[in-house]
Amino acid sequence: MSRFNVLNGTTLLPRVAVVAAGVVSPLGFGLGETLISLRKAADCVKPVTCFDVTNCRCKTAAHIPDDRLLAGRQNGRKSARLHRASHMMITALEELVGHDPEFRPELTVIGTTSGGMSFGEDYYRALNRHQTLRHSPEWIANYPPQKPVLDAQEKFGISSPCFVIANACASGTNAIGHAFECVRSGKYKRLLTGGYDALSELVFVGFDSLQAATPEKCRPFDRDRSGMVLGEGAAVLALEDLNTARDRGATILAEIIGYGISTDNHHLTQPDPSGSGPRRAMADALENARIRPDDVDYINAHGTATPFNDAAEGKAIAELFKSVPVSSTKSMIGHSLGAAGAIETVVCLLALHSQFLPPNINFRAPDPDLALNIVANESREAKIDIVLSNSFGFGGTNASIVIGKAQA
Amino acid sequence: MTLHIAGMGWITPLGRGVDPVWEKLLRGDEGSAQSISNGEKTKAYSGFLVPNEALKDLSPHPRLRRASAISRYAAAAGLDAIANAQSRTPKIDMDRVALIFAASNGGVNYTKRFYHGIVESGAQSASPLLFPETVFNAPASHLAAILGINGASYTIVGDGAVGILAIKMASNLLQNQSLDSCLVVAAEEADWILCDAYRKWRLLKAQPPIAPFHRPPRGTILSEGAGALLLARAGAVKIDSIHAGGNFSHQQKASEIVGRILHDLRDDNACIIASANGTFVDLAEVITIAKQSPDCMVYSPKPALGESVGASAVWQVVVAAQALMEKRLPPMVHAPKDAGLRFPDGSNGKVGPSAIVLSCGLNQQAAGLRLSI
Repeated sequence: MSRFNVLNGTTLLPRVAVVAAGVVSPLGFGLGETLISLRKAADCVKPVTCFDVTNCRCKTAAHIPDDRLLAGRQNGRKSARLHRASHMMITALEELVGHDPEFRPELTVIGTTSGGMSFGEDYYRALNRHQTLRHSPEWIANYPPQKPVLDAQEKFGISSPCFVIANACASGTNAIGHAFECVRSGKYKRLLTGGYDALSELVFVGFDSLQAATPEKCRPFDRDRSGMVLGEGAAVLALEDLNTARDRGATILAEIIGYGISTDNHHLTQPDPSGSGPRRAMADALENARIRPDDVDYINAHGTATPFNDAAEGKAIAELFKSVPVSSTKSMIGHSLGAAGAIETVVCLLALHSQFLPPNINFRAPDPDLALNIVANESREAKIDIVLSNSFGFGGTNASIVIGKAQA
Repeated sequence: MTLHIAGMGWITPLGRGVDPVWEKLLRGDEGSAQSISNGEKTKAYSGFLVPNEALKDLSPHPRLRRASAISRYAAAAGLDAIANAQSRTPKIDMDRVALIFAASNGGVNYTKRFYHGIVESGAQSASPLLFPETVFNAPASHLAAILGINGASYTIVGDGAVGILAIKMASNLLQNQSLDSCLVVAAEEADWILCDAYRKWRLLKAQPPIAPFHRPPRGTILSEGAGALLLARAGAVKIDSIHAGGNFSHQQKASEIVGRILHDLRDDNACIIASANGTFVDLAEVITIAKQSPDCMVYSPKPALGESVGASAVWQVVVAAQALMEKRLPPMVHAPKDAGLRFPDGSNGKVGPSAIVLSCGLNQQAAGLRLSI
């Protein structure tokens, strides 16, 4: 029996393959560009130019360049009306469909936090200033969080029902985790999953108001970490029952082998300092995968670089694991909220496929309170078979997934 | 696995509690419209709002001190559903309960206030107290903390059909034997800016009543509140089948997906709890029902309770479950006699052993389910 098979009573649970993926993030358009940027430890954080940050403490974020993202906008009036987030989802899904044109999901599960928020901002500003509301029907129609998902599905002729999960910063990982559970339950054969989010002023200022965003560099797990920077992007994964995928000759990129979810009721925005919430999510994910902590070769941490989050997560990792390599790729691309878990899962797929550890950049000095093996500043070649990816969010939502290398 | 409704909670413009609201619906009562304004210089809209006294018995909890209206509605309905289930099954182990919260617009009042601060006074004036309450999953977080749920908690967003999708998600979660039940709570709060947006989207009318199934559609009235269902493997009402439906790219195509849902759920002995709200949705439903199930009794709660968007589908499920248990339907108010459908009028509302809930949302999603007793 394979290490990835799990018995549920006397029944062998289906295994869950990732058969295709697509991504757009500040690291690049597509898996290829993303891999190159990860290997060279690209710092994608730049000054914010899409809205006024004069009065904010933090003035940087990681952007996807509009000149590339919106290049297809000229193709028709409908495309021109769509939100940037829709273009991100379309870009990511285009890559996935290119990898596996036959893939037709029964259900779509996508994470986000803020949908087409900037259209809501446009609407409110126009109202407040008594400006023309000529565009308001377009803003309103394209504002809801399900719209970018439906736009992308429509573009590629996919008509599956859609769950949009809004579990704050854990949304993407929760979406992938729920999709994994659906396939592993045997009720579904194929699901489309992932996450997206686009930068918006309201969210940027919100994190700034909480002083969770940093005016400096984003330094996850560093002794002198001072907060997060925001990012944006979209990533999608095609999950399929492994046997079905093999039968049709699909390429197996990796397997999702475990998922854990917990709710930390300590506070709406702050984790329990004991790290109990993250610890439960990670422990449940390991148990769900029927593996031991020692089996994990790399952890892609949530690692926002806020003092509280990194302390709680770092404590939980240090308690559960012995010296496993850890990095937060948010140091390179910022925190893309609902997209983060999905983009970081794609990062894990690339790490497994190309056998390297993605870096945690801007790292200067270890935190003496956190006994962690940080992949500091440069990517490293490594033999890795199993990785774990964490996402934790406002509201106390904690999610961890375990991903295994595709077996020949 | 069979899915049942083990407990229900309901807070609406007609008050709080399944039995009191149901009694009012049976009497033909409607929510009374109130004016929703945004200051003197702006146009006021009509909305069906939850009466203040509906929350007077909500137990005080630190998490609700600064919470938005949507969080309070969710808490009230969720706690009531648990209490309702406990009247039959006293011991509910919260370690084995998952939570799914469904909404469409979320905490729009705090979001508007937070952004207003940015627009009027600059980013430096943005309130760190308001921002966390703008996040979609804030109500779920509060409810989980109040109930002591520390396992799976999901917030799912969508249009009016999101409540059905949440129930579908619950059925997926309950495949896992480590869970005994799943609390599905759907909530929405009304606000001036929502009324303004729906008006500009040409879906809202100025004053009640909501006239369902009229041609052409005359528009809807927004409302607010919450509905909650404790779903388990045993309970008073069985959910036979859930149709996660699909998506329609144009309003004109809504009837195709609604037709597919009704076809798959069809039961000629069932009553149909429709989502007709005075908009294009009505046309999609009347075409479908008249063609496929012309003899079924059709009831929509929206003329009486208003269009509560994210909460609406769970409200429909509460109505369907009550109709099955009470074996009757409330009278359908403001329906035209020439719609080509059969409506209950208070004397002909007897209900058989099954009910179909159709939910066609205003933003491209549709879903449905069938219940039986």
